[in-house]
Amino acid sequence: MKVGIPRALLYYRYGEFWKSFFKCLNVDFIISPPTNKKILDQGVKYVSSEVCLPVKIICGHLDWLKNKATHLFLPRFVELNNGLYTCPKMIGIVDIARFHFQNYFQIISPKIKNNFYWTHFKLGLKLTKNPLKVKNAIDNAQKYLNSYPKLKANGAPKILLLSHFYNIYDYYISQPIIETFKNQGFTIITKEHLDNKRLNSTKGFAKNIRWVYERELYNAFYYFLPQVQGVCNIISFGCGPDSLISEVMLNEAHIQNKPFLQLIIDEHTSATGLITRIEAFCEIIKKRLDNNVSSIIL
Amino acid sequence: MKVAFPYLGYDTIALKKFVELLGAESCLGPPLTARTLSLGTKYSPELICLPFKITLGNFIEALEAGADTLLMAAGARKCRFGYYHYLQENILKKIDNRHCFYAISQYTPYEFFFKKMPQIFGVTPQKVIYATWLLLHYSALIDYFRKLIRLTRAYNFYDAQKKELEALRIIENVSSFKEVQKAKKELRKIFSPIINTSNEIIRIGLVGEIYLMLEPFANYEIEKELGKLGVLVVSKRSLYRHLKHLLKLDLFDLRTISNAYKYLKDSPGGEAIKTVGEAHIFAKKNIDGIIHIYPFTCMPENIAYEALQKLARDYEIPILSISIDEHTSKTGLLTRLEAFVEVVKRKKFKG
Ligand code: SF4
Ligand code: SF4
Repeated sequence: MKVGIPRALLYYRYGEFWKSFFKCLNVDFIISPPTNKKILDQGVKYVSSEVCLPVKIICGHLDWLKNKATHLFLPRFVELNNGLYTCPKMIGIVDIARFHFQNYFQIISPKIKNNFYWTHFKLGLKLTKNPLKVKNAIDNAQKYLNSYPKLKANGAPKILLLSHFYNIYDYYISQPIIETFKNQGFTIITKEHLDNKRLNSTKGFAKNIRWVYERELYNAFYYFLPQVQGVCNIISFGCGPDSLISEVMLNEAHIQNKPFLQLIIDEHTSATGLITRIEAFCEIIKKRLDNNVSSIIL
Repeated sequence: MKVAFPYLGYDTIALKKFVELLGAESCLGPPLTARTLSLGTKYSPELICLPFKITLGNFIEALEAGADTLLMAAGARKCRFGYYHYLQENILKKIDNRHCFYAISQYTPYEFFFKKMPQIFGVTPQKVIYATWLLLHYSALIDYFRKLIRLTRAYNFYDAQKKELEALRIIENVSSFKEVQKAKKELRKIFSPIINTSNEIIRIGLVGEIYLMLEPFANYEIEKELGKLGVLVVSKRSLYRHLKHLLKLDLFDLRTISNAYKYLKDSPGGEAIKTVGEAHIFAKKNIDGIIHIYPFTCMPENIAYEALQKLARDYEIPILSISIDEHTSKTGLLTRLEAFVEVVKRKKFKG
């Protein structure tokens, strides 16, 4: 038995957890490599052109895995944190995987509906008979649940880079963006810099948001807005939740007079185009900073 | 009080009666036109789905016509729809600050009957329940009318066009439960003589996102155009069914969901599960082809699309998926419809 895990979508949040979990249970697994052009080019063949980039990317990863594993691990995240939804596409991706890849491997897709722990526990019991071992494996893995490779924050001025974790930590997508901000002398803050309690807060508009990751984005936005010089929001073309919440954030940023840049990406986006837009955006912020400084001196 | 809500195709008549039963005047603004859409698009976020843009334009025009109370369905779940009203309320407030905007959650019947509606309209809960009960019957009548008109169009398009107005007038004049029954009989009398079932026609199942299925302006009158091509449109979606679904009275629901299960093991939200379930039922019933319409980038229907691709392979049934946004051209759409109908006809009559 060899379990394939696609390095895409929810992997960027729960990947370390799964790795530790499977390791403890002595399950052999293979993870697809970081996204590259070939993976993306394969991925777009499987779904209609109007779906969001992350879904196309994960299809490419499934394609990469298809002859290299006997099983595919792709849990179906329906609800988390007491009734917060993920996104229609994260629910549907498991079915899409079934349509295209069920002849290549057996798909393990436990359904997670407010029972993250139990779902993994039950899955563990199928892999080993010893419940204690399963419990240990999960407890061990828990510490990886909130461990992201945090981008280092030091020195001003700061940019809040808002996007889903599978966009920011998939460097194939985010690298040109992050690099450009750094080259321009900005420090990047992401929602991962905020503690869990604040991320899940239900204050203000956040309580209306019933998409779990979108609520986190909004809370991070709300919390960091006064501290940063500008906000950059990376949105996949065709992303439903972002199309709404980004608009809410944009309005708020306007009210507080903070520069807000929406970068809409898809598989045709060229790095050069992105870089030009970011540079122009940075110029605006720098000009504002200069003006403020001079007004303070005067 | 002048109440506006978004147009909903033929079912608008039923909703109007509902509002009037609650003692208010309805003021919906002019019928939907290209102006509605361009107004809506102008004020909408760029990446939002089409129903948002049309309903927003619809509200703006209603305000222009003098509406002072706007009602929008709500209820946040997996999909964008439940969030429409937050943004729309904001946008509309900037355009006109004298109106009241109410979001009516679809999934909290208790609140609907006992709090929200009595509060808005200043009536007793009993009255709301009675009005809803009648709304159910009105929409059932309209559902029935749509079935008849589809049949007539397929066999006798030009007569159907002529009789449509007459039929709608009958529906508009209905004002009690008894009259609903009488109207049904009258409708049958109008349409049955001109339905001539002698020649063989093709049947195409229509599935997709509910607003696009119900509002002819949003779907470029797809049902009429198919009727013109001599196609019998089969569709299970209507306000009547939706209300029954919300009130948990629709037994057909279970069948739809169980039929969707082969393709979607879990609902991705919106109407995807119905789209797939109905398409599966159509495929099993030997319907000749399926047309799937949905707003461009609609999340649940994007998933349904992938499922329908698989279904098309499994059942060797022709499926045409059409995603619609404000840039869709009617001519392009008609060409695609004609080509598809040709394919379906050739497949059916060659054997
Ligand atoms: S949240 Fe947006 S980007 Fe992520 S899977 Fe859903 S639609 Fe795609
Ligand atoms: S069902 Fe589709 S069109 Fe309707 S709100 Fe959801 S994403 Fe938009």
